[in-house]
Amino acid sequence: MSKLIETIDLVTNFYTHEGVVKALDKVSLCVDHGCTFGLVGESGCGKSVTVRSMMRIIQEPGKIDGGKVLFYPGNNGSETAIDLLQQSEATMKALRGDKISMIFQEPNSALNPIMSIGEQVAESFLFHRKKEMSQQILMDMDASISKANPLKSILKALYRLAATRPEALILKLFSKTPLLKSWENRLHKEAMRRAVEIIAKLSIPHAQDIARRYPHNLSGGMKQRIVIAIALACNPLLLIADEATSNLDVTIQAQILDLLKDLKQKVISSVLLITHDLGIVAETCDRVGVMYAGNLCEVADVKDLFSEPRHPYTRALLNAVPRFAHEGELESIEGNVPNLVNPPSGCRFHPRCRDAKSICKDAFPESTKVGNNHQVACFLYTEKSREKS
Amino acid sequence: MTTYIIRRFLFLAFVLFGVSVLIFSILMTFSPERRAMAYVKSPQQVKDLPIIVKQLGLDDPFHIQYFRWIRQVSSGNWGYSFVAAMPVWDAFWYYFPITLELNLYTIPIIIIFGIWLGTVSGIHRDTWVDHSTRIFAIIGWSLPTFLFALIILMFFYGYFNVFPPGIIDDGFNVWIRENPDQFKRYTYLYTLDGLLNGRPDITLDAISRLVMPVFTQVVVVVAILLRVMRSSMIEEISKDNAITALAKGADHHTIYFKHARKNALIPVVTVAGWLAAYSMEGSIAIEYIFNRQGIGWWLANAAISLDLPVLMGICLFFGLVYVIINLILDILYAYIDPRIRLN
Repeated sequence: MSKLIETIDLVTNFYTHEGVVKALDKVSLCVDHGCTFGLVGESGCGKSVTVRSMMRIIQEPGKIDGGKVLFYPGNNGSETAIDLLQQSEATMKALRGDKISMIFQEPNSALNPIMSIGEQVAESFLFHRKKEMSQQILMDMDASISKANPLKSILKALYRLAATRPEALILKLFSKTPLLKSWENRLHKEAMRRAVEIIAKLSIPHAQDIARRYPHNLSGGMKQRIVIAIALACNPLLLIADEATSNLDVTIQAQILDLLKDLKQKVISSVLLITHDLGIVAETCDRVGVMYAGNLCEVADVKDLFSEPRHPYTRALLNAVPRFAHEGELESIEGNVPNLVNPPSGCRFHPRCRDAKSICKDAFPESTKVGNNHQVACFLYTEKSREKS
Repeated sequence: MTTYIIRRFLFLAFVLFGVSVLIFSILMTFSPERRAMAYVKSPQQVKDLPIIVKQLGLDDPFHIQYFRWIRQVSSGNWGYSFVAAMPVWDAFWYYFPITLELNLYTIPIIIIFGIWLGTVSGIHRDTWVDHSTRIFAIIGWSLPTFLFALIILMFFYGYFNVFPPGIIDDGFNVWIRENPDQFKRYTYLYTLDGLLNGRPDITLDAISRLVMPVFTQVVVVVAILLRVMRSSMIEEISKDNAITALAKGADHHTIYFKHARKNALIPVVTVAGWLAAYSMEGSIAIEYIFNRQGIGWWLANAAISLDLPVLMGICLFFGLVYVIINLILDILYAYIDPRIRLN
């Protein structure tokens, strides 16, 4: 499988008043075309920061301080890679929502409370599909049988311009001026029509009616579907689901996950799923990355990870999850998540690690290959591999 | 939406009733003799106080007096103001246009300027733009109105002889009073009447006298609005729905002005309405220092000399102002926020 997006040694810091929060420390992960990648870890371990860094939507006072985010929009390997961190904001703006889009954790706050559902979904089309929509409007206008009048020819000229050069200065000028900006009405109508279409596609009943409503009229599950509709509007290559189901109750959660699975087969190429629920990972993902305190400790295919967890943290995490055949008390991981202003030296997990050795305190373990597509950042394995060689 | 507005109107009537009862209750805390004093013109009459009380029914039960008062108030009899030496109703229409004229310029400037500065300051948080607006806000908010007014009066009028105090030039005033047929008082606002009568020089003079009181009031009052707008804007920009918009591919301009600002306006509308009402009451300091005899000036004088009919009339008027502004706010809320519209 070829790569779709890859981060190399991604470093993101938050410059707060208490000090620099080292939220991400050299995170390298890779999502392939057609793959569902699960990113798991405790809250605050940097899962969300990772994906937000990938989309470059880190909020103040956060800053991406190093590394690369390589994006391969074509299907043919590394020669078309672009480093998203080097791109202009305008390029990123064009990519976000079009090629890479994101679903958020809290559907209640992810939608703007004072904009109608339709408007919010239609925005995606207005941002990314102006050209196509203008072309379609031109075709519709040509097809209509009403008589030509000067107003119509002006409109036509505007849409012709919008279909070829949507960034033209005169269009911006027109869109900013009161009254004149009504030339966009057809564009808005077309975007709304497409919005209703995509809402209906997500098996939401009465799409036309829903589009006219406001977020507070809908249930949590419904809102999350709308958030998904917004993300899917432009058929993205990568859909990032940032704890998309964590705040929904279990039945809705199952529905949303089924919907995502279904959509992945039909529409989207790859999914990057962030969750702290290992059950969801086991059920939906192809590959899994385990994060701890801003480090990626282990990446493996989902079966390998569950059958042969290598990193002490992964093992501890799996032991803390109830299973059917489980008897007795669940194990918990001793200690607390470290404060990332002053993270532990060396391996960030060593204060809580049962297998910690002296070297863990002093040096940071490099990621090593321990099996087929299985990588671990732990000294237990680097030394073993050293001994063998 | 229409039912919502109708309901608000009905509510308005109830509130006005409540306000009038409250105001009347405050009046009733004075003894009948004290209230009868308002009718005493000469020291000899003081011994007739019990007769006046009986004649006017000042010792009747509360509700009888209240309804008698309400009947008179609604028929336009608001009593006699000895401060203004004319009936309260007439005096009100004499003083009110002066306060109104000041506020007609002040309130829009406060609202537009406050929202604009707050937005800019919120967007460019912790930059020099933000710091300077905040310093401006702190100065405006912490400097006493009378001090600020005196300083700028001394500076502009005292040293440069521009922007004189008062309402209108004395020469114009005399001419207007002597030629009522040449200068018709359509609105009782000098700036507008000057234009309507084809006398732009009068308008200009009135405006030059408005500059400093308007400026003072804006600087003093805008600080609150600005700070509320700023913090509300900062909150909205960092909210999840702004990030959703960013992830959707929105540029920052769209996020700030389409997504964040409308949300940020909701708390600001409340404050703006409150400030407008506050400003309509007429700032006593400004009206005294710039020698504009408006509602605030009248109220201050009436309070000092316990001119009860004036106090009651003005309180009722303030109640009305608050109720009307609340009505406007309610309609604005419903316009901005669909969550309010529907229930």
